[in-house]
Amino acid sequence: MDSIHAIGFYVSAALSVGGGLSVAFLDGRSRRGLSLGAVAIGVAGMYLALSSGFAAVVALVCYGACALILAGSAYRVIDQTIAGRWRQLGAVGAAALLAVLAYAAYSGHFIPPTTQRDAINGASIGRRLFAHDALALEAVAALVLVALVGATLAWRARDRTR
Amino acid sequence: MSVGLTGVFFVAAALVATGAFVAAWRRDLTHALAGIPLMFAGAGTAFAGVSRFAALPGGGSQLLGQEFAALLSVAALAAVALGVGLAGREGSR
Repeated sequence: MDSIHAIGFYVSAALSVGGGLSVAFLDGRSRRGLSLGAVAIGVAGMYLALSSGFAAVVALVCYGACALILAGSAYRVIDQTIAGRWRQLGAVGAAALLAVLAYAAYSGHFIPPTTQRDAINGASIGRRLFAHDALALEAVAALVLVALVGATLAWRARDRTR
Repeated sequence: MSVGLTGVFFVAAALVATGAFVAAWRRDLTHALAGIPLMFAGAGTAFAGVSRFAALPGGGSQLLGQEFAALLSVAALAAVALGVGLAGREGSR
């Protein structure tokens, strides 16, 4: 990977991790939406630096849509009744997860890359999605359908009870 | 300056851990939903990195990781849409 791609990767990584931390700590849905938008741009930049242009476009659209949904007027607050101690335990568990994953990444012995691929590769990805891994694509399509129908039914039921 | 698979895995680990932290730490359940795209983005980054660094020396490519990263993005969007829809039914402004 040449220097331009490496700089792009590190800048995008900083943007996405910083955006993720902002999502964790910022209050206000519009700020959180902006932070998640920064995560979307950072993740798309990382995918692009990793020669995964198709995944970058899909990630930008999907994570950007997540940011719009979470920043939109449909947002409602649901407070948990879980005690603060369990939330602190969850945060410590997240830190332990980071330590384990970082150790696994550090202790792995990986072969350095030798080739540079095409940036987008859309035709090959399309062939894989619609021919080789059609079952996985249909599973995700069914998930999206169920999620959208479920969200619509939930909103209709809420409007009916008003 | 270069990037190796170890660096990609570090960033992926940071994203997954940040998503888990958001899901565990926030009191508002709808806010905790924002951890899902972060964790999925971390997993997708690891897949895309493996796909990039597993490219064949002759110029061939391993596309499974890139494909999986795209599918994870769509799955994250579906999960957030369903979660916010359900929260809209139960929650308050």
